[in-house]
Amino acid sequence: MRDAAYPFATFVLFVIAWYGAAVFFDIPPYLLPRPEAVIERLVGDFGYLMRHTWVTTYETLGGFFLSIVVGVPLAFLIVSSRVLDKAIMPWLILSQTFPKVALAPLIVVWFGLGITPKILITFLVAFFPIVISTVVGLRSMEREMLELATSMRASRFQLFWKFRFPLALPSLFSGLKVSVAFAVVGAVIAEWVGATEGLGYLLLVANANLDTTLLFAVLAILTVIGVVLYYGVEIIETRAIPWHATVRLKDASL
Amino acid sequence: MKPAIRLENVTKKFDELTALQSVGLSVEKGEFIAVVGSSGCGKSTLLRLIAGLLPATEGSVMVNGHHIDGPTEDVGIAFQTPVLLPWRTVRENIALPLEIQGARRASYEDAIGRMIDLVGLKGFEDKQPHQLSGGMQQRVSLCRALIHDPALLLMDEPFGALDAMTREQMNLEVQRIWMETGKTVVLITHSIIEAVFLADRVVVMSSRPGRVVDVLDVKVPRPRSFSNLGDPGFQEASDRIRELMNANGMVE
Ligand SMILES: Nc1ncnc2c1ncn2[C@@H]1O[C@H](COP(=O)(O)OP(=O)(O)OP(=O)(O)O)[C@@H](O)[C@H]1O
Ligand SMILES: [Mg+2]
Repeated sequence: MRDAAYPFATFVLFVIAWYGAAVFFDIPPYLLPRPEAVIERLVGDFGYLMRHTWVTTYETLGGFFLSIVVGVPLAFLIVSSRVLDKAIMPWLILSQTFPKVALAPLIVVWFGLGITPKILITFLVAFFPIVISTVVGLRSMEREMLELATSMRASRFQLFWKFRFPLALPSLFSGLKVSVAFAVVGAVIAEWVGATEGLGYLLLVANANLDTTLLFAVLAILTVIGVVLYYGVEIIETRAIPWHATVRLKDASL
Repeated sequence: MKPAIRLENVTKKFDELTALQSVGLSVEKGEFIAVVGSSGCGKSTLLRLIAGLLPATEGSVMVNGHHIDGPTEDVGIAFQTPVLLPWRTVRENIALPLEIQGARRASYEDAIGRMIDLVGLKGFEDKQPHQLSGGMQQRVSLCRALIHDPALLLMDEPFGALDAMTREQMNLEVQRIWMETGKTVVLITHSIIEAVFLADRVVVMSSRPGRVVDVLDVKVPRPRSFSNLGDPGFQEASDRIRELMNANGMVE
């Protein structure tokens, strides 16, 4: 936890620089509000902001969990069936070149303005890293490990649960970390397309009113959501795969 | 008595590449065989054929009088790298073959404890592989190959990555285990000393394509010790192996 001091120091420096710039260049508040104004806003409108924060968090987590629930089993199918692999994988990879947020208006047409389209759009954005990293992880078994399992006459089931799946976890978790960050972006964009609540919606409102202080307050909250979710996944990772080098070596200094 | 392993005219091709060409070999039950040859001459391929991990392209591979068309139960393999599962403790890694066979946990706890004592890993039962030295990891791998008490033990350069001291220690351990249990052992090695020290017979292979050049006896009584390496039996065998390897352009 002592390591938290360093990023915190960076943060303090950043705020000081922000404050200094605002005062020194005498930037008008509608362009760059001062830190204390943003803090005042965060405190003053706390209840109001939290209500919207909850909505966005809910959508983010909903899309993220949907990505896991769909993405991980899909990866299982892809590695266990050559036909599915050939049929689906190229499309999955191709779909990465497609800007999935462009589907947002269509999804709104189909599913209306409720929470469902938001979760779906978040899912579209967050789902790919999970599938790919799980597939890569499940394929990462070396020849000798496979021969070990074969020589012990492990069944397909045993091969999967005793070898492949645990081996895939490190890769799966790195996919989850990318995905959870994507999910926040997905939720905000989803709210830009027809929403009446949420932080993305607040951004639009603040923008329309030239309420820069609110913009900054929302950005600050979004940052906190992103960081909290990321470290949430990382804490689970540390518990789930304490044996993995990236977990073990985190404390080692060079 | 049926030989433990019998290869007749075995050829193994990988597409165009002939890894093994007309290999014949017969190993008696309880015999200790070492296989030497330069890198890429097909030693590991030979081992995989015996283990049933690869099919032969031509010829027949028999273990205990049965044709091999897949891995059999009564074989233990120690690979060139320890291939331990990093999320399992030493004890759990050693238990793996039994667990996969569906044995009940209570039935093998004692056996694992004894095995751990045997190779000097007492006190490390609950450590994970990354907390062990390379030599200790190799010992765990050896335990795992032996825990289900297979009649046939196959080892692919298991001590290649170890320093000379640890290696001698492991050789002594292998000799002791072999003398106590009477298993049939096939050991692949790059070390001529290791081969003559441990084996009853040494199989010398040449490369491109891989063939058996000669099989020679090491006539030194057991138990052998490293202080007796000056023994004429050892000298004779290792000189002959070097001669064969040089004649085939295989200088290590
Ligand atoms: N699965 C495979 N597919 C294609 N070629 C292979 C395969 N396995 C081995 N070979 C080839 O067969 C030859 C013999 O390989 P093998 O691994 O048996 O050699 P080796 O004697 O064990 O060598 P080393 O001492 O370096 O381990 C090599 O030329 C290798 O490239
Ligand atoms: Mg080899």
